[in-house]
Amino acid sequence: MTSLAPTPAPVTTTTTIPVQRDHRRPGGRPSGRLPHEPRPVVRFRRSRPDLALCAVLLTLILTVQGWNITRFPSLSDDEGTYLAQAWAVQQGHGLAHYTYWYDHPPLGWIQIAFLTWIPSLFSPDNMTVATMRFAMLAVSAASAVFLYVLARRLFLPRWASALAMVLFGLSPLSVVLQREIFLDNIAVMWMLLAFCLAASPNRHLWHHFAAGIAGAASVLSKETMLLVLPALLVTMWRHSHSDTRKYAVTGAVTACVLIGLAYPLYALLKNELLPGPGHVSLVDGITYQMSRPGSGSVFDTASGSHGVFQSWLYYDRVLPLGGLAGALLLLATLRWSITARALAGPALVVAILAVVASRPSGYLPAMYVIQALPFLALVLAGGAASIAHGVLRKGVDRERFRIPMPARWTVAVLLAVSAVAYVAPRWYDGNHDALTVDANRPYRQAAAWMKTQVADPANTRALVDDALWLDLVHAGYQPGDGAIWFYKADLDPAVTKTMPHGYRDLDYVVASPTVRRDAPDLPNVRAALEHSTPVATFGTGEDRIEIRKITGGVR
Amino acid sequence: MFISLFVAAVSLVLFWMAGFTLWWQMHAWRTPETLAATRFDAPTEASGLSFSLLLPARHEQLVLEHTIERLLESSHQDFEIIVIVGHDDPETAEVAERAARRDPGRVRVVVDTHEKKNKPRALNTALPQCRGDVVGVFDAEDQVHPELLAHVDHAFVSTGADVVQGGVQLINFHSSWYALRNCLEYFFWFRSRLHLHAAKGFIPLGGNTVFVRTDVLRAADGWDPDCLAEDCDLGVRLSSVGKKVVVAYDADMVTREETPGTLVSLLKQRTRWNQGFLQVYRKKDWKQLPTWRQRLLARYTLATPFLQAFTGVVIPLNVAVALFLDVPVGIAVITFLPLITAMVTFVFEIVGLHDFGTQYGLRVRLIHYLKLIVGGPFYQVLLAGAAIRAVWREHQGRNEWELTSHTGAHLPGAGNSIREDVLQ
Repeated sequence: MTSLAPTPAPVTTTTTIPVQRDHRRPGGRPSGRLPHEPRPVVRFRRSRPDLALCAVLLTLILTVQGWNITRFPSLSDDEGTYLAQAWAVQQGHGLAHYTYWYDHPPLGWIQIAFLTWIPSLFSPDNMTVATMRFAMLAVSAASAVFLYVLARRLFLPRWASALAMVLFGLSPLSVVLQREIFLDNIAVMWMLLAFCLAASPNRHLWHHFAAGIAGAASVLSKETMLLVLPALLVTMWRHSHSDTRKYAVTGAVTACVLIGLAYPLYALLKNELLPGPGHVSLVDGITYQMSRPGSGSVFDTASGSHGVFQSWLYYDRVLPLGGLAGALLLLATLRWSITARALAGPALVVAILAVVASRPSGYLPAMYVIQALPFLALVLAGGAASIAHGVLRKGVDRERFRIPMPARWTVAVLLAVSAVAYVAPRWYDGNHDALTVDANRPYRQAAAWMKTQVADPANTRALVDDALWLDLVHAGYQPGDGAIWFYKADLDPAVTKTMPHGYRDLDYVVASPTVRRDAPDLPNVRAALEHSTPVATFGTGEDRIEIRKITGGVR
Repeated sequence: MFISLFVAAVSLVLFWMAGFTLWWQMHAWRTPETLAATRFDAPTEASGLSFSLLLPARHEQLVLEHTIERLLESSHQDFEIIVIVGHDDPETAEVAERAARRDPGRVRVVVDTHEKKNKPRALNTALPQCRGDVVGVFDAEDQVHPELLAHVDHAFVSTGADVVQGGVQLINFHSSWYALRNCLEYFFWFRSRLHLHAAKGFIPLGGNTVFVRTDVLRAADGWDPDCLAEDCDLGVRLSSVGKKVVVAYDADMVTREETPGTLVSLLKQRTRWNQGFLQVYRKKDWKQLPTWRQRLLARYTLATPFLQAFTGVVIPLNVAVALFLDVPVGIAVITFLPLITAMVTFVFEIVGLHDFGTQYGLRVRLIHYLKLIVGGPFYQVLLAGAAIRAVWREHQGRNEWELTSHTGAHLPGAGNSIREDVLQ
């Protein structure tokens, strides 16, 4: 009786339901309070000029970053650590081939494992630090594109967005650091994605929610990104609409917290959340990181922090110092400048990171600057856009004291030319090294020697630094007890247990600069160096690598 | 291994379900533009539609007069009110007749002589008598905003809709812990979820503040007299054949109602709805929907009460498995996914309560937020109970309107109503 089936024609007229009323059409009711500032919405994927510009710059950046990537800069111990742990993940050994002790959240090298998974299937022997640096190009590429999109979403003009991308991708400091397999690079990629989502032109609830997830992924990739989260919140706050803000921002915070809690949850499930006898714990790991001996104040020329700071400036002064100045400029002009307000989030990132870096005591790691690089580039480009706007547009409508346009353009061109004249030679020198110098020859030679000159790798025990470790594993040494991360010989009870006679239970020690640097604090390593003679030496001076055979061993 | 895989699969299904429900629940707040589009447009000029407003009343003599008076205050020019009373209910009939005598041009009384009485039968009795272009339905205790008709009129004219559903909102969140949750359910449903259904072309309508073009309603043969959720059924039948439904929600123009007075009456009301949903599902009118996505939405929506009951039981079970059984850590983390979704839902509910307070100018205190959180699991139990009860009753073939048989005029005071969800 009530079924519509027997009813004739009229009911079947429309089967597609038209969308609801569009509030934007004339006569429609506006959506509450209208934003006070212009919102020139950029649809990146549909904008051909943006896509083309981005593609050209990306090619340039990838060429510069990729060329000679295996030979410069010299392999770092941390790269070896993360790649080896990624290898352990791939091999199904858990999160590390030695006991995972909650030194860092593991998401970073899980992603490295994922990135290098397919290449390592084709050629397992190429799962070494130098080769797998190519995987970092994917991360660099993603970060560079995200940065461009973010710049456009923060209403920077196209040229300034391109400038930000170039500063970020081609600064010699970036080129050196982004080539290396550092967790920070991966964390930066996620954080840039989070910022892009927070500044979504749709102001979509689930974009903001996803921004929270990406922020959490960033922190789980490298915990220092926690510092950047407040600035992410500011960006999201500014880019959300007052009508939907409370849902968007709460959703994002919830997402970030819940995803972030996955880490302690993991520890809890493994019964390793709290310290206890006979097992590692998350709390122990955090305690260790928080109590790392300080490296002094950046402003104290004798301190380690100052040295780290100088090492950044050695590669490039423009990006760190210029970016810092740009951030200060933007924060100071927050009241008057639209650009400054649009870039409040990135400027805040730079400010927070600068304040934390300049605290008098505390540990300043060499990679610390990586997380600041995109934001330095962004605020520097924003500062440039602000200045360009001031020179070309300010007071154009004024009747009196009007400055003619040709004069304005002359000033602008002069400024641009002098900036390029200042930067270009310095960057040329810096990047010239990156493209030509071979800093890793001793490493390659040492790896080749250990592979070809040692008779029975499977039954040979050698202390090596992390960067060489995978080479030895591929050469047939036993991962863990045969090829040994040198400091584990002193710090990991599971390894020391296999060395009842100390250094006498070893055959070789591969003395790289890292090993020599850390040996004074590691009794077993020091003893191994003292009771061994070099059988092969590669390179000269400080950077040489010696392969030393243990004398008086029991093996 | 099998246990691990099984637990992981169940978790992923639950996660997927909870995720979609959440996604839909938050529809209105997706973007500022979506939110703006959920409101009524302001009427620009006087337009031409006439309204027949149906007002079924049963043992509701205490509130009926006020409701009619308030409806008569409406700013719209062209409408009639048809009060439907039962032949066995002289008290209510008297109130209705009195009102009709005062304003014979706009108020009429229709007597329902069905032996077994329920709301769809009452409405069907009045349908042939309607003179307006549009039929609107209200309940006897509804507080209707004077500007509502003008806005609905404009909505019909400007969108070419066949059906307009206005907002209905429970207001008495402070009455009890379940009233709080019940209010919030309405808030999310009418404020947000229903708009998604309108946009997707499949919509279960609400019981009142619903307006249908008279010819469309007659062509559909009115309401199903045997369905326990005749409102839902009407929406499903109309939208399944492509009728255009527009939903609009304005906080100052919603029809205000109150939650059932006791937990038991809430349980009974919910049982009736669930059973009604089940009946609508089994009637299969939704199968005429043109796309599989719409049919999936229909299946899912009509089955929601039962899925809800299921998830309410399984989520804690799943977490227990993760914590106490020896499953791999990766699997254990997956088992937490549904819980995470549930927590996100929880947080959005808290924000929703805040928004509800802001929209209606009501003061929401800390204690209410606490009640919301603490009451959550218990409300889940209530919903699960109602779902199980509905399945049981449907299985037994008991599909009468509960309370009609044993709660009549002879009971003074609180139980004095045909409908369990009535304001006393």
